[in-house]
Amino acid sequence: MRTFWAPIGRLGVYIVVGGVAAIMILPFYWMVITSFMPAPDILSFPPKWFPTHVTFEHFVVAFAKAPWLSYYWNSLVVAVGSVSCSLLFGLFAGYAFAVYRFPLQNLFFLLILGTLMVPVQVTSVALYIQLSKIGWVDTFLGILAPNFASAFGVFMLRQGIKQIPVDVIEAARIDGAGEMRIVLTIIAPLIKTTVATVAMILFLGSWNDFLWPVIIINSAGLRTLPVGIALFKDPYGNINYGPLMAATLISTAPMLIAYVVSQKYMIRGIAMTGLKG
Amino acid sequence: MRRASWFAVVLTVLFLTPAVVLAGAAKTITLWYPAGDITAGAAHFADKNLFSEFEKKYNIKVEAVALDYDTMQQKIFAAAAGKNVADVLFVDSSWLPGFLKEEMLEPVADAKAKAWLSAVSPEIVELSDYGKGRMWGYPQYGIDVYGLTWNKTQFKDAGLDPEKPPKTWDEFREYAKKLTKTEGGNITRVGYAIRHVGHPHGVVHKHFWAIYGTGGALIDDPNRLRGGKALIDTPHTKAALKLILDMLDVDKSTSLNFPDPRAAFLKGIASMQISETVSIKARQPKEAPDLKWGMALPPVEKAGDKPVTLLGAWLYSVPKQAKNKAQAWQLIEWLNSQEKDFELCKQYDASPRYKANWEKEPFKSDPYDQGLKQMYPYGKKLPINLGLNGIMDAMGGAIQKVWHHEATIDAALAEAQRQADKAIADAAK
Amino acid sequence: MQPGREGEQSPRPASYPRRTISRLHSRHIFHAYLFIAPVVLLFGLFRVLPSVQTLLFSFYKVELLKDRLTFIGLDNFISLFSDEIFQKATVNTLTYVITIVPISAFLGLVLAVLFNAQFALKEFFKAVYFSPMVTSTVAAAMVWWWMYNPQFGIFNVLLRLVGLPGQPWLMSSHMALPSIIIFSVWKNLGYNMIIYLAGLQAIPQQFYEAATIDGAGPVMRFRHVTIPLLAPTTTFILIYDTILALQVFDQVFVLTGGGPANSTNVVVLDLYRQAFERYNFGYAAAEAMVLFLFILAVTILQYYYSRRYEVAY
Repeated sequence: MRTFWAPIGRLGVYIVVGGVAAIMILPFYWMVITSFMPAPDILSFPPKWFPTHVTFEHFVVAFAKAPWLSYYWNSLVVAVGSVSCSLLFGLFAGYAFAVYRFPLQNLFFLLILGTLMVPVQVTSVALYIQLSKIGWVDTFLGILAPNFASAFGVFMLRQGIKQIPVDVIEAARIDGAGEMRIVLTIIAPLIKTTVATVAMILFLGSWNDFLWPVIIINSAGLRTLPVGIALFKDPYGNINYGPLMAATLISTAPMLIAYVVSQKYMIRGIAMTGLKG
Repeated sequence: MRRASWFAVVLTVLFLTPAVVLAGAAKTITLWYPAGDITAGAAHFADKNLFSEFEKKYNIKVEAVALDYDTMQQKIFAAAAGKNVADVLFVDSSWLPGFLKEEMLEPVADAKAKAWLSAVSPEIVELSDYGKGRMWGYPQYGIDVYGLTWNKTQFKDAGLDPEKPPKTWDEFREYAKKLTKTEGGNITRVGYAIRHVGHPHGVVHKHFWAIYGTGGALIDDPNRLRGGKALIDTPHTKAALKLILDMLDVDKSTSLNFPDPRAAFLKGIASMQISETVSIKARQPKEAPDLKWGMALPPVEKAGDKPVTLLGAWLYSVPKQAKNKAQAWQLIEWLNSQEKDFELCKQYDASPRYKANWEKEPFKSDPYDQGLKQMYPYGKKLPINLGLNGIMDAMGGAIQKVWHHEATIDAALAEAQRQADKAIADAAK
Repeated sequence: MQPGREGEQSPRPASYPRRTISRLHSRHIFHAYLFIAPVVLLFGLFRVLPSVQTLLFSFYKVELLKDRLTFIGLDNFISLFSDEIFQKATVNTLTYVITIVPISAFLGLVLAVLFNAQFALKEFFKAVYFSPMVTSTVAAAMVWWWMYNPQFGIFNVLLRLVGLPGQPWLMSSHMALPSIIIFSVWKNLGYNMIIYLAGLQAIPQQFYEAATIDGAGPVMRFRHVTIPLLAPTTTFILIYDTILALQVFDQVFVLTGGGPANSTNVVVLDLYRQAFERYNFGYAAAEAMVLFLFILAVTILQYYYSRRYEVAY
């Protein structure tokens, strides 16, 4: 696989990859540049590629307008809570679906998959009514309620575990390990890449989740990042792009950095175990 | 395991939060309003001391929470269904039909309504009275009026009198033609910018002036809640659509490529546009500090026709499911008293509501406010029918189809008429 | 390490039993239920219950705030089938799905293969291709709305720079849906890429080595080792992407609001407007029900079709 591209021509590949990368990054470029442009520049015609002068006024406005630390903290609590639960529960459930045969297995699996098939826009009302009866509205538990597990997580982890040869599991059983031990100490390390991938996607999903948090959160002190950023919009489409882009940048930049860091960790992890996936 | 300690942290935080929330419980009432600097006259909510006087006087704490406008209706609905809604809602009056269909709001007490209606100026009465003195909320100061705004400098350059806006459709077309600039076959400045994309309701709102200008309307009885007939497939509506279509195709004085009329106007690439004047007033100082602009009533079909324009407002309302209704009404009455009206309008540079306040400075001499006062008598609020949203969806779709050259005027309006009647019937069931 | 459960390496007819070693596993029924219990209970309570309630609403006239449910049987569905706007929304949604799922999957595979190799600046480029996923759909859509603006937007500026005419993008009923599709492809590129990457990296080197020893070149190795062994990943991606694509909402809500002239109206958007602007909650639930049944059918079809090609090793 390593020398796969040799016949095609490395230079050609670089040009294509680089060109497409430039297109991919264009919206980010615009987002960044707009946060530093004075307001008349943003709406100028013909549009400007570079600001006439760099200004930090939008960041000042954005920082003053919103309690960013509170938003970060809330988003972090929700994301960590949701991802750790989803991984843990998903690992065990994925193992069960991959390895065992038990009655109603397919039905349960379909049930879990089925939760993905009804749009959250409508179920949100029924769930909200349910949660208000137990007093979970406007609480962390309320935000987490539909996110304690993830159908995506179960599905992906099941796929990953199915690829582990049965012999490994059998060997562990013969050695006397209990099922729980097997899952946690043998299976999990073997599917590290899958787990990391699932963790990343779930974390991103939780970090950017907007619809459910906006419905369930009432207090300003509980707001997560996407809910906070939405408040930079004006009704009727009178969008003030400068502060909005600054706010989006403030919320996105850490995620990008976290992604880069996590990538390095994943590579190191794989190299260390010597085992792929 | 490290995971276990993470769990412990998370669980502790989770369990502490409700405790913290419960611990601070004195009598607190909540108010929900849409976030934003420019629109909605909600600027005063950003003032943390806005309610301090009220809080001291009545020993009630007020928590004003900003919400995202786009998802606000959904949130209000879910909250009301879960009986967990705020005590005071600051809502767009165009949402009223939906709220009334679900019987979500509590009407203003008769005595208070009477007092209010007799103390405020006529345009506020128009926005408050929903038939026989019934009020569903108190309209906010600084109401929306849809007016024509024009670029005075560009008028002068084109040889037009900068103080005389077009009054009839013929003048309107003529002026727009003179003001349009082309370069190499492409229009670089339109005489008039149209709103034709985005939410269909917005498209209809910005086109109302043309329909009203012919003496037309969208529904036969604007004050009737259930039932009635849509008036979409009429010569009036046809004429209104044809006006813009002609400007697009024949005059070439407008274009589909300027989808954000307000931004285009502020940037000087549109000489005229028609929408809420408040938006221009709020945005112009920051976005176009050198712009000299005027505002007036939109043009009418023929000389001598009575101009009609659209009025919009935000309302302070109390939902039926609120937990602290008495205190909610206290807050609303306090916030909308004559003294507060004067104080806030002065502070936030908006036009007042009480007749008595109009007699005082600065409102008496302020040119913008007086300009608005000339326009108010010709304003009408949106019809109250429960099927209004469906009517507007249908009309918006028709407008888009016609101006995008995807259907003839007759076909589009016939289809919209059908859909609108269906919506009215469905909503009345 | 020996090849695994079924001891087969090539696609086999669907009539073969999937597992031949079941005796040992029947002991683990207790464990099975225990392990799936958290997920089933939590989902059951917070996802399945609300979903079922919502779907049941489709048989009623729902007036939630008056606490009133009036049973009207299939009336909502009958209205639905003669609703021309819903029909258009269905067509739009299907167009969207049929276009975006294969394209996204294909591009994801290409990128994963690319990034599985080693070359200079690989991590940097990988981060660039993944970066759209890091932003929220709503924020990214707002950026793209502005970029698609015929006057002020970057896309038309670039086009005019190379001498091409500016396009109406989101303003035209013909271009609006393709414009949204382009946005969605951009946004989700990284997602399929990293899932395929995980799948690729799970393939043991042994198979490539064996194939090389047998004399297979890179293209043959790709066709006969990689693709078949990626089949479970491909299945997963197709199923999952389809389920999500059929429920597309965020970008349409922000970019066009369903217009112009309903050309980008999709089922979930239509359902949303019926629920929260017209307050026809029962009707909206009926739309959700129709959507649900469709998604279910498509998923089951995809699932059974894929099992014919799934290979374990």
